[in-house]
Amino acid sequence: MLNKKKKVLVACGTGIATSTVVAEKILEECKKENLEVDITQCKVTEVKSYADNVDLIVTTTILKDGFGKKVINALPLITGIGEDDVLKEIIDEIKK
Amino acid sequence: MSIIKYLLDLGPVVMLPIIIFVLGLILGEKPGKAFRSALTIGIGFIGINLVIGLLVNNLGPAAQAMVKNMGVKLNIIDVGWPASAAIAFASQVGAVVIPVGLVVNIIMLATRLTKTVNVDFWNYWHFAFTGALVTVATKSFILGVIGAALDAAIVLVLADWTAKMVQDFYGLPGISLPHGFSVAYVPFAIPLNKLIDKIPYINKIEADTDTISKRFGVFGEPIVLGLILGLILGVLAKYNVKETLNLGMSMAGVMFLMPRMVKILMEGLIPLSDAAKIFMQKRFKGKEFYIGLDSAIAVGHPAAIATALILVPITILIAIILPGNHVLPFGDLATIPFMVVMIAPITKGNVFRSVLIGAIVIAVGLLIATNVAPLLTQAAIDASFKFPSGATEISSICDGANPLTWVILQIMKLF
Repeated sequence: MLNKKKKVLVACGTGIATSTVVAEKILEECKKENLEVDITQCKVTEVKSYADNVDLIVTTTILKDGFGKKVINALPLITGIGEDDVLKEIIDEIKK
Repeated sequence: MSIIKYLLDLGPVVMLPIIIFVLGLILGEKPGKAFRSALTIGIGFIGINLVIGLLVNNLGPAAQAMVKNMGVKLNIIDVGWPASAAIAFASQVGAVVIPVGLVVNIIMLATRLTKTVNVDFWNYWHFAFTGALVTVATKSFILGVIGAALDAAIVLVLADWTAKMVQDFYGLPGISLPHGFSVAYVPFAIPLNKLIDKIPYINKIEADTDTISKRFGVFGEPIVLGLILGLILGVLAKYNVKETLNLGMSMAGVMFLMPRMVKILMEGLIPLSDAAKIFMQKRFKGKEFYIGLDSAIAVGHPAAIATALILVPITILIAIILPGNHVLPFGDLATIPFMVVMIAPITKGNVFRSVLIGAIVIAVGLLIATNVAPLLTQAAIDASFKFPSGATEISSICDGANPLTWVILQIMKLF
């Protein structure tokens, strides 16, 4: 199933601000690795409605319930501290 | 100076791309990339303009009809923060707010007046918003810039002040939240919380976040909220079924599309904010500094979410019964989490208290939003956003209801 496009949900407080920064960084990295990925952004209160159709949830805020999906906290992509490690974790998860 | 004047007169759709392009080149971006992000920002403005049109053209007449039928005078439309941010960035002060905010931050860091390195450039729009209102009120660009700088400085101090509390409560080490809207409520929430401590019975009440999140979950879904509000307004406006359903759909559309348009604006800003972030991080690194981020990173906390969900219907209720309020809450009902994100740590996550304090600041906020509506409407017109002729005024909760913005505005009006 290597060619199946992975679906990633990026959630933050607004669904716009920090999630856009994270989404762009994931897209850029995926391009480098030649990975195809489908990214959706949403507000943290909307995760419940989106979670069913995604493979991975990436968030910049506190997410209490991942609805059974793998959740990665991407705050380091915003602060710039530990950025590479988190990005690698996300990419590894997409490659799975 | 005449070149700058000419640039400002071109209108935001043309002016901002030019400024962003030049700023990008100065910060060492490649011309191609700088050009692309500059174009993207201009396109974001065009998109926002379209959606404001959709909102005001549909909600405006319905609000007017409701005023006639119900005698409830809520004729100022809350356009929400996406539109407010666009109006702020499109103002004359908005054109210079990023360099101004940077200079204020660097001076305060160098003089040890703050520990926060504010890398959340997107939210510099709050400072621009304050500056834009000051400029409209005083007709002075310089006073507007001073107002924006003052706002930026006070927000940094408030971010420092709350940093420990935020770090402990939200588990965010090394971070502070210099968010122009969220921190503005701290000076009110602290004394109000102390007051609640002294009231018997009330000081013992606690609420269960899980139950609240389940029961009020729908208020966290902006498109559903938009639809429901549109339908209710249609009924109150005595629209027929067809018109009511159309109003409901249009409002759901606004709730969905408005943030998408701001996202385009945001995408254009990313390369610039990355370059500036690297610049700041190189110079101010180490343990004694906090990284100042968007309070969006904290609003996912269950206490903040539960509080905000309950406050949505309460806000609508307050808007209807509060004498002197003319603002019809709409766009910013989805922004309430940002208002409570600093209140929750003060009440140590007690949702009942946060709701109580939230309701009080919202009531005061609505009066402030009513008060600044003429200025905000004028700022929007100055930024060449389109409005149906005359009849409707606009405001917003974020930042139209921001007490810090209002206080700075009153101070600057003295000059």
